Amino acid sequence: MSSERMNRRSRAALGRHGLLIALSLLMVFPIVLTISTTFKTSEDVKVNPFGFFSSFSWENLSNAWNVGNFDAYLLNSFLLSVPSTLIVVILSTMGGYTFARLPFPGRTFLFYLVIVGLLVPFFAYMIPLYFQLRAMGLLDSLVGVNLVLASTGVSFGTFFMRAFFADLPAELDQAARIDGASEWQIFLRVMLPLVTSGVGALAVFTFLQNWNNFLVPLLYIPSGEYRPLTTGLYLFLGGRTVDIGPLAAGTLITILPVIVLFIALQRQVTQGFISGAVKG
Amino acid sequence: MTQTLQTPATQPAEPVRRRKRRRTDVPEVTAKAQARLGIALVTPLLILTVVFLLFPLANALYYAFVDFNGLDPTPPWVGADNFTELAQDPDVWAALKNNVIWIVLGTIAPLAIGLVYAMLVWGIGRGGAFYRVMFFLPYVLPPVAVGVVWGWIYEPSRGWLNKALEAVGLDGLTRGWLGDPNTALYAVLATAIWATIGFVFVIFLSALRNVDVDIVDAALLDGANWLQRLRYIILPQIMPVFLMVTTITLIGGFAVFDIIFVMTGGGPADATEVLGTYAYSNAFQLNRISYGTALALVIMVLSIPFAVGLNRLQRRLSMQGTTA
Repeated sequence: MSSERMNRRSRAALGRHGLLIALSLLMVFPIVLTISTTFKTSEDVKVNPFGFFSSFSWENLSNAWNVGNFDAYLLNSFLLSVPSTLIVVILSTMGGYTFARLPFPGRTFLFYLVIVGLLVPFFAYMIPLYFQLRAMGLLDSLVGVNLVLASTGVSFGTFFMRAFFADLPAELDQAARIDGASEWQIFLRVMLPLVTSGVGALAVFTFLQNWNNFLVPLLYIPSGEYRPLTTGLYLFLGGRTVDIGPLAAGTLITILPVIVLFIALQRQVTQGFISGAVKG
Repeated sequence: MTQTLQTPATQPAEPVRRRKRRRTDVPEVTAKAQARLGIALVTPLLILTVVFLLFPLANALYYAFVDFNGLDPTPPWVGADNFTELAQDPDVWAALKNNVIWIVLGTIAPLAIGLVYAMLVWGIGRGGAFYRVMFFLPYVLPPVAVGVVWGWIYEPSRGWLNKALEAVGLDGLTRGWLGDPNTALYAVLATAIWATIGFVFVIFLSALRNVDVDIVDAALLDGANWLQRLRYIILPQIMPVFLMVTTITLIGGFAVFDIIFVMTGGGPADATEVLGTYAYSNAFQLNRISYGTALALVIMVLSIPFAVGLNRLQRRLSMQGTTA
């Protein structure tokens, strides 16, 4: 290859990188804007709320945290996302294993019952569910909202885990059975350790879905007790005098855990979101 | 990623096959033990699904045929009245029109932009992982937060969009993007497109990895320009993925809610009202619970054929061995 051609090639690659970096900046522009406004002084927010990094102070963050209730919202977001994610992961793993490897009469029918959730958008039944939760005394409760969040995730989770278990070779459980392992031991000791990557992707994906969920807490936490970040942010936005500084800080508090989790576990997150997109 | 995209494809019909095969080669004792454990393992899952999904769904059907106001324990039966009213409600048709605009533009734009991004990153080697993170990040953010920040970008006096337009001399175009009924829907839609590009991009990028580079090189030698290469070599090879992404964004387009609710609440003057926000406001603000439920069921019925089609499509793809 002549050096001239090499040159042209590397120049083209350089141009491509330049364009891609510009596009990357455009894509993360709103996040940069959030960070910039969060760390402005309150005077600066009044005159120049969206100019980039023109002053520095922690006051918006401390306002959002102490006055804007974002400390409580953050805690509530964890209280609503962690248990519901655990429920989804545990039930989906058990269900996925059964539907892949433990036959019994009527199993296919039950599988379709569980999978209905993949076709039915939450929208279709959210209104009757409100009255049902009210009758069950589960409105405004951690238990109720966690169970609802979990129920929106198990259809996909079961579906997802079933595929992982179905891929494992049949010789595995036959060998374990010959060695005298019980069915329960085969599930727990032999099969489960082989699908940890699937469990991990499902856990991260479900956690983010629940963390980002807006409609479920909006509908089923009407009193505002246990209000998470998403609906807390919405409430703050709807206030008569919108205070942009603390609002930016609240937004940052809401998205920061998501960003950290995504960057730390990007492979699992991407994997989960792409296969999970099927869900309407 | 390659593996998971195939996962939804290892599909139904399979449990039946497996059971039949198992019956013949597994001793009776084992079959019984498996059945016992299986039933024990799925019971909690079934209880959760029945109580929080199937029961309320059945209830939704009931609500749609009565006139429930949220209080009356025995609401009067009205038959199909809710549905006939829906069909004659001009607001429903206006909302549906917005859904259609949302679906068409919200599908085409991310597909086009995502494909361009993917072509740019394809085969770039170093830095590819970095661009993937940057482009995909918007897709994982909560729509509420996205709506808040884009609201600032669209702000009439100090927002970046108007400032940018002024800077390039297009002062005439500046406006309150979310407050103007003519632009509000498109402004919210642009936000949603921004959030979806990364998703489409990642899927395309992994599909492009399967495109045979030799054929592309051969075409290059034959003097095909980039448009010809795209049209005749690359597009046919990633067509299945193209269809899949289309269906996914299409299904999402019927049920769109969060981002519109947060950014405009359906306003100004109903300019951004979609079926989802209209169903919500009927049920939870106007106490027309049955009417809202009927509408929500209509949304479901509209999107189910596409969901079924998607499922079929993916099954076919997995049979062809197309990895995405």
